[in-house]
Amino acid sequence: MMKKFKTIILLFLLILLPSKAFSLIEVDITRGNLNPLPIAVSPLATDSDSASSLNSELNIKNLGLEISKVVENNLRTSGLFNPLNKDAFLQKPDIAHLKPRFEDWALIKAQALITGKVILKEEKLRVEFRLWDVLAAKEMMALAFTTVPKNWRRVGHIITDKVYERLTGEKGYFDTRIIYVSEKGPKTQRVKKLAIMDQDGHNTKYLTLGNELVLTPRFNPTNQMVTYLSYFRNLPRVYLLDIETGIQEVVGDFPGMTFAPRFSPDGKKIIMSFAKDGNSDIYTMDLENRVVERITNHPSIDTSPSYSPDGKYITFNSDRSGYQQIYVMKNDGTNVKRVSFGKGLYGTPVWSPRGDLIAFTKLHKGKFYIGVMRKDGKGERLLTENYYQEAPSWSPNGRVLIFYRETKSNKKGEGFSAKLWSIDLTGYNERLVETETDASDPSWSSLLSN
Amino acid sequence: MYKNIIASSVLHLGIILIATMSLPFITKKPIELPPIISVELIQIMDKTNIPYAPKAKKIIQDVKKKEEQKLVSEQAPPKKVKKEKPDAIPLPDQKTEKIKEIEEKKQNPETIENEVKQVSEFEKDEIFDPDSIAALIDKSKEEIAESSKKSKLVTQSDDKTMNLSGLTLSEEDALKAQIFGCWSIPLGLPYNENLLVRIKLKLKPDGTVTKTEILDHARMNMPGQGFFKVLAESALRAIQLCQPLRVPTTGYERWKDMQLNFDAREMLEG
Amino acid sequence: MNLIKVYKNTFLALMLSLVLSACATQKKVDDSQMQGDVYTGTDTVKYLASGVPDRVFFATNESILTTKSRDTLRKQAAWLRKNSSINVVVEGHADERGTREYNLALGERRANAVKDYLMTYGISSSRISVISYGKERPVDSGSDPLAWSKNRRSVTVKAN
Repeated sequence: MMKKFKTIILLFLLILLPSKAFSLIEVDITRGNLNPLPIAVSPLATDSDSASSLNSELNIKNLGLEISKVVENNLRTSGLFNPLNKDAFLQKPDIAHLKPRFEDWALIKAQALITGKVILKEEKLRVEFRLWDVLAAKEMMALAFTTVPKNWRRVGHIITDKVYERLTGEKGYFDTRIIYVSEKGPKTQRVKKLAIMDQDGHNTKYLTLGNELVLTPRFNPTNQMVTYLSYFRNLPRVYLLDIETGIQEVVGDFPGMTFAPRFSPDGKKIIMSFAKDGNSDIYTMDLENRVVERITNHPSIDTSPSYSPDGKYITFNSDRSGYQQIYVMKNDGTNVKRVSFGKGLYGTPVWSPRGDLIAFTKLHKGKFYIGVMRKDGKGERLLTENYYQEAPSWSPNGRVLIFYRETKSNKKGEGFSAKLWSIDLTGYNERLVETETDASDPSWSSLLSN
Repeated sequence: MYKNIIASSVLHLGIILIATMSLPFITKKPIELPPIISVELIQIMDKTNIPYAPKAKKIIQDVKKKEEQKLVSEQAPPKKVKKEKPDAIPLPDQKTEKIKEIEEKKQNPETIENEVKQVSEFEKDEIFDPDSIAALIDKSKEEIAESSKKSKLVTQSDDKTMNLSGLTLSEEDALKAQIFGCWSIPLGLPYNENLLVRIKLKLKPDGTVTKTEILDHARMNMPGQGFFKVLAESALRAIQLCQPLRVPTTGYERWKDMQLNFDAREMLEG
Repeated sequence: MNLIKVYKNTFLALMLSLVLSACATQKKVDDSQMQGDVYTGTDTVKYLASGVPDRVFFATNESILTTKSRDTLRKQAAWLRKNSSINVVVEGHADERGTREYNLALGERRANAVKDYLMTYGISSSRISVISYGKERPVDSGSDPLAWSKNRRSVTVKAN
């Protein structure tokens, strides 16, 4: 036994001696650049037959190029990537897709490369793509999608999701949609419609005609249902809308205004406020058996409820302390705890999909902030300050917040606008989200695919 | 009574009529949901590196030459400074260097022991019965625990390693500065996780990297360790991008093996 | 010489005080329309009947009725008693300086404050319905304290 041990030690020493004559030098690398990752998105190759039939069907000359532009735009808006100018690309798309000359791509400082191929086969669009690590000179991922041709933008979004996940370690949020309230007309008589669009602002569709006031649409995290507040026939009530069929119904049979609806994480319940006799409390309704449950019972205003992702807790907004603050309670309404203690008023708490943070709106000294705090209220971080902004909604991966911002106006209402904005959880990468009209109350869908 | 029933039924009918006639969206066309997209995996190619075109090769070689020239000129000044030093009065820096050397001698045996321990643990892994899957899983768990312990050890013994480092401060700074510039830290990483990536290098005298080895390699393909993988890959890219590394012109034996500890926490927190 | 100087000085002082008072009076225009931050003007007020204003105003984040509001509501109650066939809707509104959802609740609270007061003066609750518009229907488009004070209101509207 002892002998064996000794020989092993000796063996090690023998192995070690030549290389370990000096102790191993260790260098700590604690800094790097925080520049977005340079990535080359090569146009996807399209053979001439597919190109001509795609052109006749979609009226797009080079679909491969267009898809790559969708990917490129997604990557750029994420703030984590720097898609390189296509003019500098040396290799042709079809050849690059087979075997990239990594030295060429390294030369233009690309660290990652996306190549692909588009084929139209029996009316079906087949899109293939590969992600390459330029510096390690190896392939990181390869996937193909088959779908109907008019679905091509979604293919671009799905590709982005896959690339994003592979390169950041985090799920993407590109194959998603945003439902919001489209606004038009003078401030005193705003016409509001429900609208839905792809996350990148394309494919806008209007779901209501604007005859009645609609507010605060929210996606079901598990399917294509939406809950929102409609003033249909001057009775403000929470509605449920199936955007697949267009069928909608009133949620519950409340003898008064219901508002501030949101789905539970499993999509089976709607949680909302019900206002009666000047008092707003929080209720839930089970969508399967229609059972209504009262969650809070307090003479103060209790509103803006939002479930934790495990469904066990609810964060909400209450003025029971005298002013608007954020509270957390168990899902049965017990164990109510105030969590916001900073200066100012707090509203619209929304639990992050990861479960660790609560996003909120804060009003302090005449300024509005979007911020996040931990679920116990500690570690408050204000991400953005403005004249007026509120109602953050999380991207499904919990990395980005979308909210709306209104501008000051004069007596005539001139200068007023309402726009959607997004900001990274880090407080960087604040961006205007383009919409066809003025917009407010955005809600981010979960990923449509996978 | 009779009247009431009529009135109530008329009213109810009216309500139903109004509801069906005037509910919004009923006339609106439903939105067509995009059909489901089917996904398939393509086999990843084995060999992806192909000889590049002669023209590109030439350009690349030119660029590399230029970079080498740059490097030489950048490295030159510190050398000169050192040559001057012996003539001048010994600076406190040099004193500490000497002390370091002494410490190095003293502490060397200790650290070698450490190395032996680590390697022996590693060896055990291989001896372990590979057929027993359950045992393997258990082992991998232990390995995480161990690796985190190890990384703690590394940070605890930071002071020592700094002293033991065979590079002078200026040499180390030159190398660090070079890699700082090459390393694109993945911005999506959560900063509250243990994200230390340790990479062992084998170097040629000119600073070219001949081999890289990620310590805690097991974490690379472990579920839930996606961030580690992303960070490790970014670190490898940084090394690749920086080649040849700015190594000292002398003392190859000292630094032909080197370990780089990539730690993004400081950057991501700030 | 001295006399001229004195004249000059008094002239300057007079001018200065005039300028200052001009400032003060301009401020007073605002002040005269607001007490605390409750609107007391009549710009936007309509009348249900002669001498019966249709609306009352609130302080920021409040739903407490001021003395003036109660006076207005007593007039409304008297008018409602006289016209027993008329039903009303009380609309509660908030200014734009709050989150949408909280403002909906606040508007409902303000509308109910009015309803409760009318009921204490003998108006049946069946004749009064309430609706909250939150910050959705401002009456003044401006983004200044005066505009906001006009928008923090409860308006009694004839329902039939």
